Amino acid sequence: MAPPRIPAEMFQFTTTERSDLHTAVMYAFGDANERLETFLTFDQVRERLRAIGWYAPLDDAGLNRTLGQLVQWKLLDVVQNHAGAYATAEEYERKNLQYSLTRRGEAAFAGVQHALTVLESSGALQTAVLDAIADRLGELDTLLGTADAAMNRRIFTTLQELEGHLDALRNNTKQFNGELQRLMRAEGADLATFHEVKSATIVYLQEFVINLDSRAEAVRAVLAQVELRGVSVLHQRALIGAELPPSPGADPAVPWLTARRAKWDGLRLWFLPEGDGVPRVRQLHDVARRAIVSLLQVLDRITESRRRSSSAAADFRALARWFANAPSEQDAHRLWGTAFGLAPARHAHLAHEDAELIPTGAPWAEAAPVHVSAHLRTSGRTEHIGRTAKVRDVAAVRAARRERARRERAELETAWRRLSTGGRVKLSAFGTLEHDTFRRLLDLLGRALAARPDASGLRRAVTTDGRIEVMLWPAPDGPGVELHTVRGRFTTPDYPVEIRFVGGGPAAAREASRA
Amino acid sequence: MSTLANQLVKAEKEELSRAIRVLLGRPLVSLHTDPEDFDLIRRRHQALARWFDYYCGWRLLVEPRLGYARLVKVRETADPSRPARRRRSTRAPFDRRRYTLLCLIAGEALAAPVTTIGMLAQRVVQAAAADEHIPGFDPVRGDERAAFADALRLLEHYGAVTAVDGATDSYVDSAEAKVLYRVDTTRLLRLLAAPVAPSAVAESSDDPVAWPDLRDLTVERRYGSAAAPGFADGASETQRNLWARHSLLRRLLDDPVVYRADMTAAQLAYAGSLTGRQILRRAAEEAGFELEERAEGYLLIDPDALASDGKFPDEGAHAKVAALLLLDVLAASSGTRAFNGLVEESGRLLERFPRWARAYQSDGGAGRLTDDAVAVLCDFGLARHSGGATGSVQLLPAALRYTVDREET
Repeated sequence: MAPPRIPAEMFQFTTTERSDLHTAVMYAFGDANERLETFLTFDQVRERLRAIGWYAPLDDAGLNRTLGQLVQWKLLDVVQNHAGAYATAEEYERKNLQYSLTRRGEAAFAGVQHALTVLESSGALQTAVLDAIADRLGELDTLLGTADAAMNRRIFTTLQELEGHLDALRNNTKQFNGELQRLMRAEGADLATFHEVKSATIVYLQEFVINLDSRAEAVRAVLAQVELRGVSVLHQRALIGAELPPSPGADPAVPWLTARRAKWDGLRLWFLPEGDGVPRVRQLHDVARRAIVSLLQVLDRITESRRRSSSAAADFRALARWFANAPSEQDAHRLWGTAFGLAPARHAHLAHEDAELIPTGAPWAEAAPVHVSAHLRTSGRTEHIGRTAKVRDVAAVRAARRERARRERAELETAWRRLSTGGRVKLSAFGTLEHDTFRRLLDLLGRALAARPDASGLRRAVTTDGRIEVMLWPAPDGPGVELHTVRGRFTTPDYPVEIRFVGGGPAAAREASRA
Repeated sequence: MSTLANQLVKAEKEELSRAIRVLLGRPLVSLHTDPEDFDLIRRRHQALARWFDYYCGWRLLVEPRLGYARLVKVRETADPSRPARRRRSTRAPFDRRRYTLLCLIAGEALAAPVTTIGMLAQRVVQAAAADEHIPGFDPVRGDERAAFADALRLLEHYGAVTAVDGATDSYVDSAEAKVLYRVDTTRLLRLLAAPVAPSAVAESSDDPVAWPDLRDLTVERRYGSAAAPGFADGASETQRNLWARHSLLRRLLDDPVVYRADMTAAQLAYAGSLTGRQILRRAAEEAGFELEERAEGYLLIDPDALASDGKFPDEGAHAKVAALLLLDVLAASSGTRAFNGLVEESGRLLERFPRWARAYQSDGGAGRLTDDAVAVLCDFGLARHSGGATGSVQLLPAALRYTVDREET
């Protein structure tokens, strides 16, 4: 099918420089048409122009030119009226011409009006339309129930109304969708308006969704009933009722019936599709639900960008100025890091094989260095087979740990042996001590002091492994005592103390641990 | 059953630690550049956001549908050695011109969701012309177009603009290039991380181009006056504590070494306290770092090098190898040497490694090599350079962890 052709110059009156005036004149004629005034004289046109709100100055010559132009475009017809009574020649010249809209003029005017309506209307999902469809279908059902030929006209008009409602439903949905998309694209919409529109829309959508199912069900039921009575019967009777005017050539009934069938198929598609198809009315649900979700999302985005975007452009400009005038490149980098926070972190990646071997808090100078590939130092490259080295050699680590543990144990044993008092002595008896041994002594004293004293004030404690027992008696009054180590002095009350191995000396313990 | 549960917990921990380090390394992770990492972050979104908020007070924004995750890093002291880099094989750092153009483009791109490179350039021309403090932009000049394209490509990399049709690079050859862009306004806005709007700071100063005090950009109200040195008295106990934790961990998680000498009294006290120590350890462990705590300071080790823009020691660049060898030289001579003395050492290195010829063998090559190598050491917090060719280079304590294995004593 070829796309329809619009007669040339039909809408030209809307596009020229003087389109305002042209449109106004067309409106004047349209207005007159509604009042069933079929023609207007020059003076009447002027009067009407004022009535529809055209106040711009307009001289006779200008109006004449305009009318002439519209006539030339075949939108207006002009006839001379010789029947009128004219008093003067001037009056005759002004009044003898009568203008009226041509068919094309009427169409053009209607077209413009329709275009404006579409531009101004906002789509809507209307439950009323669904109700109306159900009502009309019900009516058709009743009408088909009687065989009365007089009812054929009613059938025809009802069918037309039904089709009208279906069209409305389709258009509204389409328009509503479009409206929504436009709403979401809106860059310039101010927040308050959007809030208003949004909340109103959401309330509206909710109401719509609530009863959508029952309404659609009602339509489905009555649609099925009508189908039982026969769609072709319906169409035939409507055809009779339509009383199509005869036209030369082909029988007008054939295209008419085809059009009705197409409409009916459309109706079924909406409510009762063949097979497993999903009725389109069900999609209205999705449309509505999606609309609610997207509206909320858009709102979020708008709020967010509103919050900063007015100032954001200013922020970027301020930054641009600073960058352009940065005292040095280093400062520019610093500004980049601070303002954008996109700089990566930076960390070491080589770790100790066994970090636990190094006491925390030791200076770096005393801690063993991490293993750096020797190859890197000699040839500038790391060994590439070294990739597997990531898996630590557990055996070596364990051996190192075991060795370290053994050494510590030996040190501990030595220290304890030195401290073992073999009876009750005073702290002052220790005199000068090695630093390590002194640390052990402090440890033991600490344990003892942490214990609760018994009735006589004696405190007892054992080490965690239960090997050493320490007993501490209350210190007699008097001056304290100083213990000396190579690293300093330690002042303490002169406690009587006994430190002894539990269950034999170190030799016995060694045997026990071996067993 | 319990094994499975254990496995799951373990997997979860590993994912979390990986995601944390990925975000530290790249504060903006996009679906279009790193689908896997983005997916990981999306899955662990909530736990990650909690983690960053608790330990360092950084916001993590994840937009699953828009396809990006942004860790809003706020740092009081930014490191000049981590500039924006050109998206070219040279990875050369941005210069003032490129930074300026980047900001101008960003400001102009906010205006329309879809634009072309020509329109964008035109708007930048106008914006630069309208501002007496910004040098004009002249798209006729090839170097200007190259700078413009570099800035635009970085924005593309971050996903703030997307080339729908055509390639940005074609603009370098001709100002007539046709490239169509879609602008993601929200993401563009999220490139800015400073808690205080730059425009507000600029307005409060009389001179529109006066260099700002960068600390003014990073004032966060929740710490009260705790963050301002000397005014800590006005802050509540909670604010002081929060600030000590956040400021310390921000540095530790971002910088190669944090020396005690550079820490404030409040930070030192926090790090020394029982809670502070526990939190440092826990943060490091949960993020998959090893915490190295020494008398002089702290550092984090990331064995997978996920949270790092570079590695040291590394064979990746001649300067890095030279840095390691110079480090040995410095360590052998009690840690300090005059810069000129190091240049001689570099000369010897160049003789030893003829392969470095192409980059450094020409006139002044030894000087340049020393410059680059010392910069590497400084960038990793291992040395300090008192500046210039006449200055001296001093090793910092952490450098000793890379010295040649000493005999065990």
